[in-house]
Amino acid sequence: MDALLASAGPLPPKKHHHHQKGKPSSNYVKKSQPTSHQTIPRADGTSIDPSLHSILSSTRVPTSFHQSNLASGSGSTPIKPDASLNRIQDKKLKSKLTRQDIVQKQNKIDRHDVNEWLNKAISGDKGGIEVDEELGERTWRVKQKEISDSVGMSSRGKKFDLKFEGMGSYKVDYTRNGRHLAIASSKGHIATFDWQAGKLHSEIQLKESIRDIKFLHSEDFYAVAQKKYVFIYDQNGVELHKLKQHIDPTHMEFLPYHYLLATVGHAGYLKYHDTSTGVMLTQIPSHLGSPHSMAQNPHSAIIHLGHANGTMTLWSPNMTTPHVKLLAHRGPVNGIAVDPSESSAGRYVATSGMDGVVKLWDGRMWGKEVRSWHVRNQVTNLGYSGMGMLSVGGKSGVTVYRNLHEGNTQHTPTPYLTLPLPSLTASSVKFCPFDDLLCVGHEKGISSLLVPGSGEPNFDSGEADIYETYSRRRERDVRGLLEKIKPELITLDTDFLGHINESRGGETFEERNSRSYRQLGRLERLRMDGKADEPQALEEEEEDEDGEGQGEKGGETTEKVKRKMKGKGGSTSRYLRKKQKKNIVDNSLLAMKAKVAAQKKAEDTRRKIASGEIVRETGALARFG
Amino acid sequence: MISRSLDDHLPSSSTAPHPLQRNLAPHLHPFQKPREYTRAMTAVKMDRMFAKPFVDALGGHQDGVYCLGKDSRRVGVVAGGGGDGEVIVHSLTLRRPLLKIPNAHKGMVGGICWTSEARDGKRGMITAGKLDGTIKIWRSEAFAPGLRDKELFEGSEFASGSGSTSQDILDSAGAIGEMGYDEEEGGGLNLDASKRDKLGESMEPTMVYTNKNGFNGIDHHRTDQVFATASNTVQIWDENRSAALSNLQFGSTMETVNKVKFNQSETSVLASVGNDRTMCLYDIRTGKAERRIVMQFVSNDVSWCPTLPTMMLLASEDHNLYTFDIRNLNSPSQIYKGHVGGVMGCDWSPTGEEFVSGSYDRTVRLWNRESGKSRDVYHTKRMQRVFDVTYTPTADFVLSASDDGNVRIWKSNASKKLGVVSTKERQSIEHRQKLIERYSAEKGVRSIKDRRHVPQSIHNATKLKREMIESRKVKEDRRREHSRKGREKPKAERKKAVIVEQK
Repeated sequence: MDALLASAGPLPPKKHHHHQKGKPSSNYVKKSQPTSHQTIPRADGTSIDPSLHSILSSTRVPTSFHQSNLASGSGSTPIKPDASLNRIQDKKLKSKLTRQDIVQKQNKIDRHDVNEWLNKAISGDKGGIEVDEELGERTWRVKQKEISDSVGMSSRGKKFDLKFEGMGSYKVDYTRNGRHLAIASSKGHIATFDWQAGKLHSEIQLKESIRDIKFLHSEDFYAVAQKKYVFIYDQNGVELHKLKQHIDPTHMEFLPYHYLLATVGHAGYLKYHDTSTGVMLTQIPSHLGSPHSMAQNPHSAIIHLGHANGTMTLWSPNMTTPHVKLLAHRGPVNGIAVDPSESSAGRYVATSGMDGVVKLWDGRMWGKEVRSWHVRNQVTNLGYSGMGMLSVGGKSGVTVYRNLHEGNTQHTPTPYLTLPLPSLTASSVKFCPFDDLLCVGHEKGISSLLVPGSGEPNFDSGEADIYETYSRRRERDVRGLLEKIKPELITLDTDFLGHINESRGGETFEERNSRSYRQLGRLERLRMDGKADEPQALEEEEEDEDGEGQGEKGGETTEKVKRKMKGKGGSTSRYLRKKQKKNIVDNSLLAMKAKVAAQKKAEDTRRKIASGEIVRETGALARFG
Repeated sequence: MISRSLDDHLPSSSTAPHPLQRNLAPHLHPFQKPREYTRAMTAVKMDRMFAKPFVDALGGHQDGVYCLGKDSRRVGVVAGGGGDGEVIVHSLTLRRPLLKIPNAHKGMVGGICWTSEARDGKRGMITAGKLDGTIKIWRSEAFAPGLRDKELFEGSEFASGSGSTSQDILDSAGAIGEMGYDEEEGGGLNLDASKRDKLGESMEPTMVYTNKNGFNGIDHHRTDQVFATASNTVQIWDENRSAALSNLQFGSTMETVNKVKFNQSETSVLASVGNDRTMCLYDIRTGKAERRIVMQFVSNDVSWCPTLPTMMLLASEDHNLYTFDIRNLNSPSQIYKGHVGGVMGCDWSPTGEEFVSGSYDRTVRLWNRESGKSRDVYHTKRMQRVFDVTYTPTADFVLSASDDGNVRIWKSNASKKLGVVSTKERQSIEHRQKLIERYSAEKGVRSIKDRRHVPQSIHNATKLKREMIESRKVKEDRRREHSRKGREKPKAERKKAVIVEQK
């Protein structure tokens, strides 16, 4: 017994004292022969009693495992848990969360280390064109021809132009891995192709005005905003779906992790459509008329809309009002782009307006723009690259900027490259993901231009694989659907999930005010039990306050029983009966009779189909009746 | 300019795997948390979908099973003691009785334990009668652990049947016959049921002890040839002597002792729980009762934690379980609430992190040592009052003995896959478990994870119990309101359990 107590380590001092007082220690010391102990002989002749060593008084981590002695060296500064954890009362929960927090932080450091070993560029810089500034050379003076002459054969082949005369202006879209390209002209010409292999997937002529084209989760499907509705086509150009709810669409965005197609039309309704289930999720009126531009934040799935009155609004499917409403420009906002690069991670947003100004915003503080500058040509379009370069497309050319939130932000930034398109207007500018390319759609087709240093060089095969095989794509489709994020999780603050809820006593008013039965007052308890002996008048007053919730409690219900009308009592047949009584045959009566007959016929066929007498026609020809 | 070589990104040969490129930078992996959360939701749903804890029911008892005897040295064998004095040794792997001793005792069997060592190749099982006041030691080579010599085995009573070659192999776990399948006999042991029954009937105990009072519990010392019994006192017996070595009692009380258990690490310390609502600690070296606590309710069972020597678990009649650190006996270190009937049995898992309890409310519950709410609850339509539960020594299964005459095998982790698991599968299972653990505080995950269907009767009883406790607290509050300030202070639940600690 005493051996057990002794081996169990030091006791709290108070308790220890208490024990000793209760029993004289001499009783313990007088040990009988420890028959029950099997001692283990050691090599040096001694023997140890394992039961005495069953609990050590203290344990120690070997020094070689101490953080400061680890090879990574990152352990020199100890990781501290988040300060908010100190507010947790529950000791067990606190220690658990603290441990989790430290592990997470350590993992973050480790991940950063590993990534540096894996992907750090050997040259040490981000890449791009370097010129001798002192000799007066400027990067924006470098022409496409000079670039393509100085790069390798494989890169030279990436610069190409597709010329389509008289087809209208072109819109372009890349898949997430940058391998496939879709182009759509305003006059109905559509083509999708694997631009690297030069393989055409589909080419169709819709003979209808087209306003936008977007790839869905893979190159297998793409959505086209046509004159009246949104249509979905497959890789071979076969029409799969007509999304009738999306009327008069002008802009589209696809949220790949949520499988949501967001469209907005002339009526100004933002509509979310779940493409995995085919169900319309929600439609939100923007109340700001036909939007001039649309963009998504790839890090938070927030949709940005630019409106005619110069405001930009930020939307999620969870709110009927915009998260942010911002007066960005003095004219219509016609270009929005969100910076997806490492330094920004969806924080920086660029907008351009008809007032000829381009503005750069910080998503953490919308109060004032980070930078703004005038451009000479009329801007129509903006685009951000994987490394954070901004392309400003407009009349007669595209300008590319880099390092926009570095240096003196008061000045007008010096362009990195200028890509002139004489007598053309860029209707769509898109950087190719994971490549140094900019695709510009204009009135004479599309041009794929070289922009050195614009693309993220290191892709991740788990997310977007350029060299994706058939089997891996199938695997990714299934995984993607399994991990489809619920639309409720779209929030402005991406770090929201998994944080500690610090609001005390519930989130809603009801939760905060719901006290347990024993916390209620006497009258409240009696009221809950229905035993409150209250005067009638008081009760009625309360009922009025509480509304209909308590109203039904009273003895008699004054609600009228509504008889359901069926057959003869209907309004149509009543109308017919009245007319026929008067023996007036006019156009309205005839129309009504025809309507009743058609209803009857439809009902009849429905019944027959249900019973199996007629087989309902399905297939392509069914629509002709 | 980015220029990628196909040599780096395409497989080197037609059979080689497709090369992968990694970039762990967070901006290439957006929505990390929502995606992980979605994965956690899927994981917790899968966990509940695959939760099929019931493995099998081992029948054969004519009456209810009231005690289990686990042999902590062997995995595949457990003995069940019935209400009619029958003892059956079950094989968990074959899922059939290995040996039936129909009249081991007159009346109920009070307790079963196994001797610590094999003597002359014969393993011993000790049974104690609840009514007839006898202890019997049964020795048979059938119980012997380890692989035996062929000659030695053939001399035993089990080899009296046909001397087939496969029969005389003992598996490594020491249970007979597990490897000796024979197709002709319909699978299982090459010893047919009638021979087995005849063997059981004719079996004689090697040692019989008698006592005036019946025995409620028995436990064997971990290493020595000493065991302790619980009657109206705690008695220590030597396997070789016919009379008790000593009687242990606290003061001069002669109340019935319900259960007695030896500590597994400090092997000469033992604990008993008695009908006088006490828990008492003894040391057989001093031969004295060391200390005792009196609680509000009777404890039905006691169990020592195998890894924390000072930790003990009490199964109480007041529907709760209590863990005590024996260094501080005036309050339990944790109260485990959840049962709605008296808890009849409890047992720690070999890791000491979890334990199992069986209750009079017809359910078995599994608990983490750290949390006061049960991790899982098992029940079936046909399982009646549970009287004893035990973890198997591998911690994979729990066994329950109930009134309906069956010993049931349950998985200790309801959704665990049995059988061989490939490394890839194991990794994904571990990943899923970690995800669930990480998001278990989140509402959606938690509600799926914690939700258990319980029978209507249990559900109603839980509701009723909650109401009763609530009203009791209301009454307490009112009393406090109407008494002098500071007179009646609210008392912590843990302080209420122990009335007095005696030394």
